[in-house]
Amino acid sequence: MGSVYRLTLRQLSGRWRLLITIVLASLPVVMGLIATMVDDPPSNEDFEGIVINGMLAGSILPLVVLAIASAAFANEIEDRTLANLTLSPIPRWQIVVPKLLGAMTVAVPFIVGSAFITSQLYFDGDMTAVIAVTVGAFVGVALYSSVFIWAGLMTTRAIGFGLLYVFLWEGIFSGFVSGVRFLSIRHYSIALMHGLDERRFAGSDNLSFGVAIGASVVVFVLFLLLSVRRLRRMDVP
Amino acid sequence: MTNSGTANGDAPVIRVDHVSRWFGNVVSVSDVTFDIRPGITGLLGPNGAGKTTLLRMITGLAAVSDGTITVFGQPVRNNPDLYGRIGVMSEHETVYQFMKGRDFVKMMARLRGVADLDAAVEKAIGLVDLADAAHRPMGTYSRGMRQRMRLAATLVHEPEILILDEPLNGADPRQRVHFQYLLKQLAAAGRTIVISSHILEEVEQIAETVLLIVNGKLAASGDFHAIRAALNERPYHVRIISDSPRELASALVKLESVDAVNIDPDGAIVVLSRNVRDLQIELPRLAQRASIRVRRVDPLDDSLESVFGYLVER
Repeated sequence: MGSVYRLTLRQLSGRWRLLITIVLASLPVVMGLIATMVDDPPSNEDFEGIVINGMLAGSILPLVVLAIASAAFANEIEDRTLANLTLSPIPRWQIVVPKLLGAMTVAVPFIVGSAFITSQLYFDGDMTAVIAVTVGAFVGVALYSSVFIWAGLMTTRAIGFGLLYVFLWEGIFSGFVSGVRFLSIRHYSIALMHGLDERRFAGSDNLSFGVAIGASVVVFVLFLLLSVRRLRRMDVP
Repeated sequence: MTNSGTANGDAPVIRVDHVSRWFGNVVSVSDVTFDIRPGITGLLGPNGAGKTTLLRMITGLAAVSDGTITVFGQPVRNNPDLYGRIGVMSEHETVYQFMKGRDFVKMMARLRGVADLDAAVEKAIGLVDLADAAHRPMGTYSRGMRQRMRLAATLVHEPEILILDEPLNGADPRQRVHFQYLLKQLAAAGRTIVISSHILEEVEQIAETVLLIVNGKLAASGDFHAIRAALNERPYHVRIISDSPRELASALVKLESVDAVNIDPDGAIVVLSRNVRDLQIELPRLAQRASIRVRRVDPLDDSLESVFGYLVER
């Protein structure tokens, strides 16, 4: 598995991809910095709702993970190098798991780092809040990675699919249609943050901590298995 | 056929049984059946004939729509354990541009579970004569060098079966000779090698057995020399341009190697011959004796497509 993991790390560490990731991941940090410097700082509720929930969990996190995770297989399919891996005498899960771990390894430092620094700045060293935001962001990266790895195997238009999913499903539907939050990774992340720090992220439509943990495990494992199944059944170019 | 999972005796190593593959309404491979035994087998056919689809099904990369394919008696699709015994070099020349040649071969060796990694890597790179360039990223390689390093990666685990799709693309004449020598050595060591090409002469020099694929169907199969002999008997059209077409045409009609002669409106002579080799010898002599100047001689149907067309119609 180490060979596929190292290969994935190198493939996903292109200069432009990392540059865009750094720019996007630095936006919440900049917002957090500004919020601490202005004379009339936003309320906790406003900052949590706009910066943590809306900007970080709702936009930047899924977009960054989409750009990284969907490329893990999509680039191999486009370059027709996937056969190098699938013609190896190893089970398919030993290809999918290191690809997933590789995508997470590239995304986690930026997104989780951004969540950590932003919350550290705004919550002024309140470690309970900082840990809650950091853990929520980490789980978000893991779940989106699992979904977008699968998307990269299913379609050559994974980026388009991912953008529609992020903006329509996670951005619009999950905000207006209450039942959709049960199928929203953003809501899982926020519910986990609230579960770890009950003083914060207390939205009226929050999922319970237990439901968020259970749903996160189900989504992560389900899309991992779907990716393995897809890799078994697809015609490799 | 035995299901022992070994390549000994006369048992076919690869068995393709009534295999078809279609994409929507397009039939790419249609009811193809053949066996492949140790030695070099050439898979010949014009571009778009279905060779690559067939090879992808034989390697398990693509599913069959109908029929069965077995390798060493086992189904090849979704059978990773079998891939350790197969080496596949696809027609696509893309490589990991950022990766050094040696690292690529080493990665492939690791994925295929090679025990003595460094020795195997150096041996494979040595076989393709690329030791001097192995430290460079493959993005800096020429097309031929990329193909050779891909071949090294295909050979590194010393597979019992080698499946090579158009492997000589981009190779220069010296590399071709080296490659052919290498394949003959591997075949002599008992390996089963399938090599696809759309160039008849390329396969002629190395393959003992050929499979001719035309329009997704198996047009001919068997010993290369028998098929080549059949090809030599086929009628050829040859176009001749000369100073005195009528005189030359009347002289050509008398030759035994000529079946028919026509003169086109533009003055060119079109000769139908079933013995083009004799015609090649007799034509210059005839022109010299009659003091006729021959300006140009062109074969009209020497393309591989016409060769296959002839074999299919027989």
